[in-house]
Amino acid sequence: MERSKTNISGETKTAYLFNAPLIITAVIFVLIPVIGTIVTSLMRDVTFLPEKFLVFENYQRLFSDRHFFESLQFTLLFVVVSVSFELIFGLAFALLLNETLPFRGFLRVVILIPWVIPIAISARIWELIYNFNYGIFNYIILQLNISDQPVSWLGSSIGAFAAVVVSDVWKTTPFMAIILLTGLSAINRDLYKQARIDGTNFLQRFFKITLPLLKPVLVVALLFRSIDAIRIFDLIYVLTGGGPGGSTSSLSIYAFNYYVSGDFGYGSAVSVIVFLAAGLLSVLYIKFGKFRETLQ
Amino acid sequence: MREERIIKLLKTLGVIFLLVFCLFPFLWMIFISLNKNPDFLSPQIEFVLTFRNYFEVATSNKFHLWDYLMNSLVVSVASAILATFFASLSAYSITRLKFPGRIVIPLLLLGFSMFPQIAIVGYLFGMITDFGWLNSYAALVFPYITLGLPLALWIMLSYFSQLSTELDKAALIDGASRLQILFKIILPLSLPALFSTFILTLIYSFNEFLFALMLTTDYHGRTIPVGIALFEGLHGQIPWGYIMAASVIAVIPVLILIALFQKYIIQGLTEGAVKG
Repeated sequence: MERSKTNISGETKTAYLFNAPLIITAVIFVLIPVIGTIVTSLMRDVTFLPEKFLVFENYQRLFSDRHFFESLQFTLLFVVVSVSFELIFGLAFALLLNETLPFRGFLRVVILIPWVIPIAISARIWELIYNFNYGIFNYIILQLNISDQPVSWLGSSIGAFAAVVVSDVWKTTPFMAIILLTGLSAINRDLYKQARIDGTNFLQRFFKITLPLLKPVLVVALLFRSIDAIRIFDLIYVLTGGGPGGSTSSLSIYAFNYYVSGDFGYGSAVSVIVFLAAGLLSVLYIKFGKFRETLQ
Repeated sequence: MREERIIKLLKTLGVIFLLVFCLFPFLWMIFISLNKNPDFLSPQIEFVLTFRNYFEVATSNKFHLWDYLMNSLVVSVASAILATFFASLSAYSITRLKFPGRIVIPLLLLGFSMFPQIAIVGYLFGMITDFGWLNSYAALVFPYITLGLPLALWIMLSYFSQLSTELDKAALIDGASRLQILFKIILPLSLPALFSTFILTLIYSFNEFLFALMLTTDYHGRTIPVGIALFEGLHGQIPWGYIMAASVIAVIPVLILIALFQKYIIQGLTEGAVKG
């Protein structure tokens, strides 16, 4: 009896030692900064002014800030539009790569290319592609007579929105495709064989077999991508800088601009809103993601 | 039979679309990097092939290309090694030992990975400044460990939970310590998972932007994505040829990684990122 008791506490001690590096790093470099941001959002923390505890004044300011709501609206619209397109293309690519194809290994490398190029770099490539005077998009539009004038991709708010969405869909579709591909390859092939014998066409098989069985993976992939999209920063910072006229300023960009101008209190309040939005989706993600089951 | 033909046609069109979709911007980058006049699509400007852009960005010390690349390499390799190591320790204890927190730790860490960077970076900037780490490798290595940790932990967890615990029991009877078991028995059996974890955390760190933007100030600490994003010409003209040449050089390391280790990357992503 006595021995097994000391054994258990020894085991617990070993376990905590094994987890210490992970916990310490996560607490210092994630938890403390986030708590710090929440506390800062309750204060006046502006360069050259004495700090002052305000409680909710920054948040009251948020609710009367038109630019904040524009930024919120842009961010939500971006998430919905961008993630929808990713889902459509990602699902199409996953279905394709799940078939027997020549050069399948090569295609799987090709599809990883957009994912692996740093966003800051791909944003610059897109910036050049969208260029008003010598970008390839406007060249094609003029050559094919789609329009007799070049499109101001980055100079108009609609153009800039489209530009951001296209670049983001390009970058993140591969991830969606790979996740959905695993879901697809887990579906038992005999189901399709049987359905074929029963005389169904491929659209029926898609809606009656593929989609329902893929749904759990689909939901989790959608949540994961939405959490990522709601925090968007890099792409917009490099591609449009939030412009023109703040029309593509995501919440993260909006907060960042306040940090840069020295108003850490207000910037933190905006960041806390991003945090809450992502947090809400994360709870759903962890719930639907069956992560507990992996832990038994 | 008709359906077979439609499916075959769809497959062919799909493959063509996939190739154009994924490769076009990438090939355009290479194409412009080899161009004397990046604005050759405007009227009266001719198309001239050249390697000068590469020569210029590689040799001129004005661009600091090699400094940025070196910083990126050091920071991402260091953080990937540490994240893989920390995750292995933790995953071993979670799959082999019983202790309070066994379920909570990996779920909390997963939650942490969803925290937006913008809600971290403002306060972190102050902390890093206080530590005296601004513009140093340490300023990025530690935050980058936390970036890769959740993925690393979940990959290692799903791998370790598939390994039989009989080996551990036998080794314990022989008097081995838990640390010895992890290093001498479990890790050598887990090379594929270790490898996936290392490569993925490396890519995450290599691609990171916001922390690098805020926590470094010049070429002593700045990484390649920030270097290329802030790359501007001297006279307001954007030097597209140089930017694209530098970009091509910058993506070569990660392209080699995906070409060689596509299987590990896909496996790791699906094990670590999304369960369903």
